[in-house]
Amino acid sequence: MTNTVTEESMVTPSQPLAHTYAAGIAIVAFFVGAGIAALVASNLAMTLLTQAVITGLLATGVGFLIRQNGMVSFGHAAFYGIACYAIALAMRHGIVRAELAIVLALVVPTAIAFFLGLVIVRIPGVAFSMLTLAVGQAFYEFAMKARNVTGGEDGFSVKLPSTIFGIKTAIFQNPHTMFVVSWGVFVVIVLFLTMVATSPFGRLTAAIRENEERSRFIGYETVLPRVLVLTLSALVTAVAGVLFTLYNTFVSPDVLHWSLSGSALIMAIIGGPRLIWGPGFGAIIYFFAKDIAGDISEHWQAIIGIILIIVMVLLPTGLGGTLAGLLRRRVGYG
Amino acid sequence: MFIQILNGLAYGGLLYIVSVGLVLIFGLRRIVNFAHGSLFMIGAYVGFSVAAIGSFWGAILIAAVVLGLVGALLDISIFRPLQREDPIVTVLVTFGLLLVLEDFAQFVWGKDFLRMPVPAMFAGSVSIFGDSFPAYRLVVIATAALVGLGLTLWLHLSKIGLYVRASNADPLTTAMQGVDTDRVSIIVVALGAALAGLSGTISAPLLALSPSMGGYILIESFIVVVVGGLGSFAGAFIAAIVIGQVHNFGLVYVPWAATMFPFVLMVAVLIWRPTGIAGSHV
Amino acid sequence: MAENYAIEGIDLTRSFSGFFALNGVSIAVPRGEIRGLIGPNGAGKSTLIDVLSGRAARWSGRVKMFGEDISAMSAQQRRRSGVARSFQRTNIFPDLTVLDQLEIAARAAEIPNVDEIMSELTLSALAHKRATDTSYGDQRRLDLALALIGRPKVLLLDEPAAGLSIKESLDLAHNLRDLAARWGVTVLLVEHDMEVVFSICDRITVLHLGNILAEGTPAEIREIPEVVTAYLGSTV
Repeated sequence: MTNTVTEESMVTPSQPLAHTYAAGIAIVAFFVGAGIAALVASNLAMTLLTQAVITGLLATGVGFLIRQNGMVSFGHAAFYGIACYAIALAMRHGIVRAELAIVLALVVPTAIAFFLGLVIVRIPGVAFSMLTLAVGQAFYEFAMKARNVTGGEDGFSVKLPSTIFGIKTAIFQNPHTMFVVSWGVFVVIVLFLTMVATSPFGRLTAAIRENEERSRFIGYETVLPRVLVLTLSALVTAVAGVLFTLYNTFVSPDVLHWSLSGSALIMAIIGGPRLIWGPGFGAIIYFFAKDIAGDISEHWQAIIGIILIIVMVLLPTGLGGTLAGLLRRRVGYG
Repeated sequence: MFIQILNGLAYGGLLYIVSVGLVLIFGLRRIVNFAHGSLFMIGAYVGFSVAAIGSFWGAILIAAVVLGLVGALLDISIFRPLQREDPIVTVLVTFGLLLVLEDFAQFVWGKDFLRMPVPAMFAGSVSIFGDSFPAYRLVVIATAALVGLGLTLWLHLSKIGLYVRASNADPLTTAMQGVDTDRVSIIVVALGAALAGLSGTISAPLLALSPSMGGYILIESFIVVVVGGLGSFAGAFIAAIVIGQVHNFGLVYVPWAATMFPFVLMVAVLIWRPTGIAGSHV
Repeated sequence: MAENYAIEGIDLTRSFSGFFALNGVSIAVPRGEIRGLIGPNGAGKSTLIDVLSGRAARWSGRVKMFGEDISAMSAQQRRRSGVARSFQRTNIFPDLTVLDQLEIAARAAEIPNVDEIMSELTLSALAHKRATDTSYGDQRRLDLALALIGRPKVLLLDEPAAGLSIKESLDLAHNLRDLAARWGVTVLLVEHDMEVVFSICDRITVLHLGNILAEGTPAEIREIPEVVTAYLGSTV
């Protein structure tokens, strides 16, 4: 009975070992992505992939919030869109250099998420979803109505210098090279979130998600950890917004609209938010399915609605989760 | 000034009728229907189509009946099978339904904005304290008042109404009272959907019809029920009336920021009371 | 001296809509004592535990630990300063493994005695099982284990043996008695099973409709006719 510690160290690899393993996978994944970019000649396919990875990062933020906090957000487009507008507005008025604008684009939505989080993470369950939908849409309404600041419905194009952080800006606008950049960022973020999730902080937030009350009665503050998860998830989302703006060089209130939040949520659910990489996987499926469906039918929206319903009812761990489960059974453990 | 209050009242009244559907379902099943705004939208379109060939009152009636049936179907096919799941499952499934219904409306009625004319008998204006006021808005206020009154009476006097109120206060104990929840639920969900359909038709002459109008009204009614306190009829009523006024005065005096006011009000209320005005637990 | 009381509730009152769950109850448990808390359903036992542990909202009165007023402390602050509790309705982390949740609890505690608790409560064999995959009895012990991590100074136990068999309850009770003696921990124990209460408690407090009806040693409590008729019945 007393040798549980040694048993444990045999069963689960120690944390540094697990991290080395995860880092190894990440490096391989990065080169596979770079290889795809080198091999695929089609601009169209690469455009699709680049969009999928950038939006996949947004979905990763949404999924991480579900995974660690059990909170389903319908408002993450706000953090994404604020990042987009932060760069666009800073560049438009020539207030700061592009590099600083990018830093601002990461800091502002993250800070907003933190302060907003202090209020909204206390609101449990379904009410949180309703609230994020409404709060997210408030930013959209603002961008629509404050024409003299945001240009209103029409949006405006973003003027970027010829190099940013010493990288030629053209690299961000070519789908082949931008795919490699976005994919690299995506891999690094997934690796980072994996380390967070397996850290004591990650395990604590998972416990709070499981049972908030008991977490308090074993001695933990439960509001701040959840606020920090929301903040981190907003930061990831802001990174997606930055990539989008560099790639697209155009912003309009669409980047703040709740239908974008909804799409990101659908990607996260389809891919399976229990896996850190699940939402990104869901995004790739989403974009390719949309492209294929576009050739045969005009009813993509209804199709994705039905897919969402089917996944919710039949595959509660998402496609990624189901796939991973099948693989694990194949390999013969777990 | 008084005219502005009336304008706000018309909007607030409509918001209340839409939001009541959410309150009813939440009270009974502790779930939130994200497709509720789409029911409003379909109601507006159905009303539009019927009014084009028939009378305005016929349009209201048919929209309410059609949406009531949709509601009953919704309860049987989605809410009941999912009642043992986490409420968030129902949220996501009804979100999927929202997408399907929007696509459906776009397929049937097209993408472009449609306008439903104000019924001829209410096309004019009336004079109130010397100011002219569109007669149709008075009809809207009167209808909202009648529906609100009828609903309050129904909740307090009918057996189902009593059950719904009791369930709002304490779903667990009420479920043990031996009432057939499934039967009550069909009626309640159908009623909520019918009210969404009815308010959709009544609003149609005041709004531009588009498949995405459901999302807008969904968010507005969420603000109402979150501010009012989930599951509270009185809270939703107060919130709807206040938001109607705030919205309208914003439009008149600070038009560029008007759409922001309800959101600001919501966040302010939540900082003050995380469970909303009526403060029941979620 | 007040400091001799490990946990003390003074004039505790809690009412909902005119009904008093606690009506000015004062209770003081000396250091190292195992105090039983008995009374019929609705007597206010769980409410008392809730108020002492920081779970209840809207109550009046004062709560002290070793003479220090902890009334204003949140539940987590009370836990960190040494007041731990278990729950009548099993309150664990269903999706985490037994070991995982005990380790998380241990990180918040000064004494991370995970191995000790697992072997005391015979949970070691279940270390890597998800809590939801263990038996009801295991889950009850896990609920208790979460409270015992860190060797708290005061234990508030709300029917730790609820739903267990007579043998399991008695085993658990003597296990508790043992631990309490070794650690010098003070225990306030709500328990329905009279055999358990009378076999391990030093003193017993009887609650009835939010008031204290009687207080004394097990022998004294057995002698009070109103307690016997109102609550114990003829079985004891």
